[in-house]
Amino acid sequence: MTEVLSEQVGRGSHGGALLEVDNLHVEFRTRAGVAKAVNGVTYSVDAGETLAVLGESGSGKSVTAQTIMGILDMPPGKITGGEIRFRGVDLLKLPEDQRRKIRGEGISMVFQDALSALNPVFPVGWQIAEMFRTHRGTSRAEAKKKAIELMDRVRIPAAKDRVNDFPHQFSGGMRQRIMIAMAIALDPEILIADEPTTALDVTVQAQIMGLLAELQRDSNMGLILITHDLGVVADVADKIAVMYGGRIVEHATVHDLYKSPAHPYSKGLLESIPRVDHKGKELYAIKGLPPNLLEMPTGCAFHPRCPYRRDNCVTDVPPLYTISGTRGSACHYWREVIDEG
Amino acid sequence: MGRYAIRRLLQLVPVVLGTTFIINYMVWQLPGDPFAGRCGQRPCPDSYVTAMREQFGLDQPILLQYWNFLKNLLTGNLGTDFNGVSVATQLADAWPITIRLALMAVAFEALIGIGAGVLSGLKRGGFIDNVVTISTLFLLSLPIFVTGYLLQWVLGVQFGVIEPTVSDAATIPELIVPALVLASLNMAFTARLTRTSIVENLRADYVRTAVAKGLSNRRVVGVHLLRNSLIPVLTFLGTEVGSLMSGAIITEGIFNIHGIGGLLWRAINGQDYTIVVPVATLLVLVYLITNLLVDLLYGVLDPRIRYE
Repeated sequence: MTEVLSEQVGRGSHGGALLEVDNLHVEFRTRAGVAKAVNGVTYSVDAGETLAVLGESGSGKSVTAQTIMGILDMPPGKITGGEIRFRGVDLLKLPEDQRRKIRGEGISMVFQDALSALNPVFPVGWQIAEMFRTHRGTSRAEAKKKAIELMDRVRIPAAKDRVNDFPHQFSGGMRQRIMIAMAIALDPEILIADEPTTALDVTVQAQIMGLLAELQRDSNMGLILITHDLGVVADVADKIAVMYGGRIVEHATVHDLYKSPAHPYSKGLLESIPRVDHKGKELYAIKGLPPNLLEMPTGCAFHPRCPYRRDNCVTDVPPLYTISGTRGSACHYWREVIDEG
Repeated sequence: MGRYAIRRLLQLVPVVLGTTFIINYMVWQLPGDPFAGRCGQRPCPDSYVTAMREQFGLDQPILLQYWNFLKNLLTGNLGTDFNGVSVATQLADAWPITIRLALMAVAFEALIGIGAGVLSGLKRGGFIDNVVTISTLFLLSLPIFVTGYLLQWVLGVQFGVIEPTVSDAATIPELIVPALVLASLNMAFTARLTRTSIVENLRADYVRTAVAKGLSNRRVVGVHLLRNSLIPVLTFLGTEVGSLMSGAIITEGIFNIHGIGGLLWRAINGQDYTIVVPVATLLVLVYLITNLLVDLLYGVLDPRIRYE
């Protein structure tokens, strides 16, 4: 059902997916040198589809998202190549005023820490209503009514009584719901959720993920879910892109990736999830540290930590090998990894 | 909030008692007899001095004098000065002028200080930022009487743009330059405080959210950024209103303004304590009340503050 819908809605006249990131390169020019945060990232999301972008901090997953939103700090950030096409139009070439209209209406974002991401001095209802007032010119009273409706929709109890409360008066989970209400206010086609549950309790995490999945289903949004937690994505995502050192090292459907990862890094991530049947055994951890973006390892960026390393991994950068139509891996020895998985 | 306000008001009582007692005590302990020099070239006859001391209660013990002062203050009876002129009338004449001057100074501090601070904070390291940094340093390093005499001389004497002194009416146009002088130090400090606050908040997550909401740059800065950045600035401006009024002594002296500062200045030189004590007391009260108001206002500006 979702597949069919996405075919109809997502692929418009331009022929591609709703949102396509194409060979994106982003650098940070700091005093210490040039940090290559994003090195040729390509992914796409269609209406009604959920893409989970997975990776540890510094892998470039958030920088990619910020570049899509156009909220990257420039300088020090600099986009050195690639395209971000939304409905077939390259956002990076649009003038700022047209881009601004897409923010909130076309593409919206939920941030990690809702306490600092919400403005501390304005009531939450006001902050949600601001979306209608600035984008649609809705009257104050009408916008407030819509804000209450949205707060109801994200299941904030007694929304009517709490519309004038300030962010600090809510719990972490409720704050994140408000953040979500604000992001979906104008029915965006794409919602980017940047680690939306990282700051929350586990039980609340599941509720927020459930809410996101439900909202996405109801309004057929494309959802980009950025996370470092593999456990979070299994139920929600359709496909997964695993990022490492600013590159996508594996992309696959959730099913394929969980069944048999095709990259040693994805495999390591899966193995480091605690499991009941491994009780008593030491928890697996990927050896070594994430790469220093100022001095990337030669060849494959993962080679210093890789159990499958051969000599050519140190010298040759692996291309993203196509395994099937929906699957790719940037490992010279992906066959070996899959077979073992 | 209500209970907090009441508690804060009650706290004012010992502070007012303490400060007014110190003012009374210090003033009456100053060396020199206030009546000895009032008879032209000759020393005053003892009978006159004794009579005057009796009339103004100087022969009484200090605690009794203080008690009488409090009683008179509460009944609004401020008596006469040594020349027999009503103190209340003099205060009523002088006070509105000083309030006008101080309010104009606060307005300049707010408009120019905040404006310059915002502009320089938004474009850190740019041309405006450098101009603001240098000119505020310049203002901060000049004592207020230098700024005052300098402007009076340049604008009033050399170029004749303004009258060097202010008339008795002390109209608003006449007070512009004196108010700028009075405001100069706080204005420079306000600009720097605003700049720091803007720079700090510019990187805040909620500013990024505002951009991601698709708001115009104007709205991101003018509503979201400014509202947060101004919290410490407005607090500073508020607490400084009280010291602005006592600071007016120098400015009013330079421009010959007949406000509270001028009155106090002449009274101190003439050792007329009947004026010095009520004026100083009033300044203390203004300071305490503006401080209380600022503390209460702080909770309105920043909803995260809770009064307990």
